[in-house]
Amino acid sequence: MDIASEAPASFRSSAHRPSSASLLKDAFREVIGRQRLIRYLISADIRRRGSDTILGNVWWVLDPLLQMGVYLILLSVILQRSTPDFALFLFSAILPWKWFASSITDAVSSVVRQERLIKQVQFPKIVLPVSAIASELINLSFGAAIVLVMMVLFFPAHATVNVAWLPVIALVQFMFTLGLALIVAAVNVFYRDVGILSGHLIRLWFFLSPSLWAFDSAAGRFGAIEDALGEVGVSLLRLNPFAILLTAYRDVIYGRVNAAGDGFTPGQPPDLVALGALGFFSLGLVVIGAIIFKRVEPAFAKVL
Amino acid sequence: MTFAIQTHDLGVRYSLRFTKKTSIRRSFSGMFRRSGGERSFWALREVSFRLDPGESLGLIGPNGAGKSTLLQTLAGIIMPSEGVVEVNGHVSTLLHLQAGFDQELSGRGNIMLAGALMGIDHRVMEEREESIVTFADIGAFIDAPLRTYSSGMRAKLGFSIATAVDPDILLLDEVLQTGDEAFREKSHQRIGEVLAAAKAVVLVSHDMSWITEFANRAILMERGRIVADGKPDEVVALHMEHSERRKMMRSEALAEMKSGRRRPGRRKEIATDLPDRTMVSARRERPGP
Repeated sequence: MDIASEAPASFRSSAHRPSSASLLKDAFREVIGRQRLIRYLISADIRRRGSDTILGNVWWVLDPLLQMGVYLILLSVILQRSTPDFALFLFSAILPWKWFASSITDAVSSVVRQERLIKQVQFPKIVLPVSAIASELINLSFGAAIVLVMMVLFFPAHATVNVAWLPVIALVQFMFTLGLALIVAAVNVFYRDVGILSGHLIRLWFFLSPSLWAFDSAAGRFGAIEDALGEVGVSLLRLNPFAILLTAYRDVIYGRVNAAGDGFTPGQPPDLVALGALGFFSLGLVVIGAIIFKRVEPAFAKVL
Repeated sequence: MTFAIQTHDLGVRYSLRFTKKTSIRRSFSGMFRRSGGERSFWALREVSFRLDPGESLGLIGPNGAGKSTLLQTLAGIIMPSEGVVEVNGHVSTLLHLQAGFDQELSGRGNIMLAGALMGIDHRVMEEREESIVTFADIGAFIDAPLRTYSSGMRAKLGFSIATAVDPDILLLDEVLQTGDEAFREKSHQRIGEVLAAAKAVVLVSHDMSWITEFANRAILMERGRIVADGKPDEVVALHMEHSERRKMMRSEALAEMKSGRRRPGRRKEIATDLPDRTMVSARRERPGP
């Protein structure tokens, strides 16, 4: 009987160089085909976070609240900001930012952390950054629940049906994050500098994004930024993906602070043109990220 | 009969430019000093062999000979830099049995994780779960997180998983020595069963008794090349002879160094080098196909 007829045969040759299209197809097939693996990796990740702390899973809720508290104290008490309903103003931007920052931080080390595994088992490495990102998605859902509870209980004046846009904005952010995560996870295998550098770049990015401030509002505050950067600088700031994303989140959750900085208009639909453009850009980033990742994947086991 | 594994002029080259500790600065400085030193080395070169179903191949050789690299290449973990590898059938790619383990998951969770890593359908793994648990025989610990396990328990669980996945080709890297006496007995038997199912085995071990016992063929590797290929006891004997010679040369070199005839800077090279003549004669000793 011919064994080859029923068992899969694998043929690997040094002469073989796959096309970008086939790499992309592979990446897609691997992520879809290995959902179970991704699920197990996520559950291991969640268990790990819960087991090292006394409060365990309470941190899922407490962590974003404390972070908001720190900025609330810093900005309203020390810097005397008087934006109305400042807690919601901050939270609507800090929460999605925190989602992004921790996703990238996790993803950067997702491949190098599994050095032993990669050297001993043959499996699609793309599941590593994907599961890192996916487990942060679960993390986000806790924070999102807090925002919604906060809105209903304390800031009902801000709540409108425009909250329904949240999943759309989150999807665009997810794609952007995924694309970037695939690239940094792959590059970090070859240059560990990326891991160190990314922490600082993310912090800088945070302050350059409308997280603690907003475009076109609280005139005095934004005016200072405008003066410092000039017109070109401000246009660049607006092109920043997180300028679009955070503004969109704030539009639908908080609304807009009026020009005088003493009142607000409640939740409104996001800038769909900007969001749509960013959506396409992010999709392109995912494609490029997947191709880059798959292209260098065969070298991981040798370099690690 | 069709082959299980076939390689032709297989070579694996490691680039020294990217290693674990490269940083951007290092590789920039490397760009300006192109000529300085070797930029890559061959961990495997011109490796050609064919393994048929039913064969159990023992890979032996000194440290750094390329045994593990060869195993990784067969498993598909490392891609060949030159030449071709063909593998016919499902390969158990869990080379080091505890590599896939997660500390926080339970023993059962790890069984499922290992299955998912190897790409085995979860329904198949669920069916096999009980037999894996029974074979590992670690009692109630199977439901406890892995971090509470002793090293012996980990080894047992790892062995049970790797051999229960029913691979056509089983690749094992230095894993047989763990576990207590009773478990070794059982694992003996299990390897025998896998072999009896007309499946191929490639095992790497420094324990020559395992090679002579389990392998019906052995390959001796030195510096990334196949030096001898044949009956286990003959190849093991040749390996012993070579190690003995290396040991002698090393102590000679050491003695020379002490007496001041050689500079200490060259010591490393002397210690690992074997004259090419031995390689050639060893090649000749190789039994015909």
